[in-house]
Amino acid sequence: MTRQKSLETTFIEAFDKDLGLLPSDDSDAWTSSQRQAIRTFADTGFPRPKSEAYKYTPVTRWIGDTPLLQTPGPVSATRLPLSELPGVHLKTVNGQLASAPEQLPEGLTVLTLRSALETHPELVRQHLKRVSEGTSSDVFGTLAAAFAPDGLFIHIAPGAVLPEPVYIHHAAVSPDAFIQPRMLVVAGENSEAHIVEHFPEADAGSVFENRIVGVDVAMRARLKHLVVYERGARARFVNGLYVEQKGESVFSTNNMTLGGALVRNNLHFVPDGEHCETHLNGLYIARGGAHVDNYTLVDHVKPNCFSNELFKGIVEGGSTGVFNGKVMVRQDAQKINAYQSSKSIVMDDRSHVYAKPELEIYADDVRCSHGATTGELDDEALFYLRSRGIPEKTARLILLEAFARDVVDLISLKEVRTYLNTRLGQLLAD
Amino acid sequence: MNMLDIKNLHASIEEDGTPILKGLDLSVKPGEVHAIMGPNGSGKSTLASVLAGRDGYEVTDGSVTYEGHDLLEMEADERAREGLFLAFQYPVELPGVSMSNFLRHAVNSVREHQGKDELSAADFLALMRENAALVNLDPALKARSVNEGFSGGEKKRNEIFQLAMLAPKLAILDETDSGLDIDALRVVSEGVNKLRGPERSFVVITHYQRLLEYIVPDVVHVLVDGRIVRSGDKQLALDLEEKGYDWLREDAGVPA
Ligand SMILES: Nc1ncnc2c1ncn2[C@@H]1O[C@H](COP(=O)(O)OP(=O)(O)O)[C@@H](O)[C@H]1O
Ligand SMILES: [Mg+2]
Repeated sequence: MTRQKSLETTFIEAFDKDLGLLPSDDSDAWTSSQRQAIRTFADTGFPRPKSEAYKYTPVTRWIGDTPLLQTPGPVSATRLPLSELPGVHLKTVNGQLASAPEQLPEGLTVLTLRSALETHPELVRQHLKRVSEGTSSDVFGTLAAAFAPDGLFIHIAPGAVLPEPVYIHHAAVSPDAFIQPRMLVVAGENSEAHIVEHFPEADAGSVFENRIVGVDVAMRARLKHLVVYERGARARFVNGLYVEQKGESVFSTNNMTLGGALVRNNLHFVPDGEHCETHLNGLYIARGGAHVDNYTLVDHVKPNCFSNELFKGIVEGGSTGVFNGKVMVRQDAQKINAYQSSKSIVMDDRSHVYAKPELEIYADDVRCSHGATTGELDDEALFYLRSRGIPEKTARLILLEAFARDVVDLISLKEVRTYLNTRLGQLLAD
Repeated sequence: MNMLDIKNLHASIEEDGTPILKGLDLSVKPGEVHAIMGPNGSGKSTLASVLAGRDGYEVTDGSVTYEGHDLLEMEADERAREGLFLAFQYPVELPGVSMSNFLRHAVNSVREHQGKDELSAADFLALMRENAALVNLDPALKARSVNEGFSGGEKKRNEIFQLAMLAPKLAILDETDSGLDIDALRVVSEGVNKLRGPERSFVVITHYQRLLEYIVPDVVHVLVDGRIVRSGDKQLALDLEEKGYDWLREDAGVPA
């Protein structure tokens, strides 16, 4: 009938061929959860053209009619990893752990998700179920759950404080393939950790990474998370992040989108306990016709929480930026402080930004605010710099770097800030 | 050769074509200090903007020659590298751009244009320190964003500090005195006086005679309705203080 219908069928048939659609008695927990996921996917289907959540970003347009679901011959990133960064370095190929890590600090466990089914059955089963049934994912995450051959499991034991970051270098991907990685991060009570994920540039053509990440932050845990995405100009990325926080925990995520033709960050937070703190920040640079969409939802279900959101974008060369930030405050969630701000600079009249902040508040004693600004580079500021002899091109660069620095400065790791400031300088200069 | 020759300058607001400057003549020799006084809205800042190359104005007639070159042909940043400096009436805040980064770029752009090497980090810091002292600016400001969170007086002193850093040939000061208390006015004026020299000219735009007690001009011009209606020595500034502008308006046939 429609093209959409056939795209869904394409995925379902591919799944059926490999794994079969029907439940069978002897299948393991992993395979059953995959089957559950494909059924949920089949029921839900891809977003329709009128879908509120995807109206500016019809992702299926970037999937094409024949997604390459095999993953032949992965290629390595052309850009070096952040090797100076201290801490644990992990490496993935097509989203899967490349080799078993050695020498982990006490309190840190890194496994494939399937092996974690044996070691942490409760945690993992619950996570698989939530994603497969679509309660902790949208349709793209469910699709990823159906196809992911395995995943990554990171566990920080209760009370463990990791002094150095865990660096995940997503080092190699198969060119033009449709890859569906998944990951579960669990931060135990009172634990503390910093996870840095890096998707460096790779000669992987139009590789599509559709991934789903679950994060469980237990009572009083403090977890920081950073994603640096800088794949090539034709690459595509749907980044589903679903975070659940328990009381008094602090979670922050920072999403730096510096590459790709299509990037959709689906960032979803449920502070499910009192006195939680949630920080979500992002910076994107969309160039050469790229389309970058930051879709965020903070769902305040419990009282006395704080959330703060800052997204900035620079859009040029016929590109599109979307910010759709929703803050929901449920009826019982009194005394919430929720702030949101999105700022973008549109460099030319072929480029566009759609900013759609949404506050949905059902409690009466809350403090919420949002602000969205979209504009060109400030002429007055540009003239001031030029009136001091600074050539126009340099003056623009100085202002763009200053604009972006706000978000970079929120990153606590000096090595990463230095790396990003250099990269931003390079990207913005040409 | 004159530093600056403005002949029959006509300029209007680009957006709606409103004429602001209506046949302005002015010649400044090297080392001279010229004061331009005039009522609000007479076109003083417009003149400064046209000279500095700000967008939004259209020169419809006349010419501006700077050191023998057609100034109006040059881009704003080129003018600055050629030694023209504008101290802004309303200095612009640049959040996220540190003073030191800003000035390093500015100083080195000018030096490169002059065929000089970049300043070493140590020399640059020494120069910053020396010039900050000239106008009593806290040296710690180098880490702060340009003009962000500066008081009104600090912003004005910062303009003169930048002037000192860039060592221009022609400096245009647009109401650098407005918003300054008497102490700050003295500091700024002393800074400017130290920067005077036989090769450096100043065009000092002001609304009040007060500033000219400290920065003593060679020539005083009165700008009314886009034209210079009278020029004289510093006595003219005192007359204006006493009598206001209306008598000159009538002389020039401009309705008050
Ligand atoms: N960019 C502009 N857009 C619109 N009007 C302007 C602009 N610049 C100046 N003007 C107008 O031109 C006239 C002269 O302004 P200005 O040069 O700032 O005067 P002064 O500095 O002598 O007070 C005023 O009427 C002012 O409103
Ligand atoms: Mg003025």
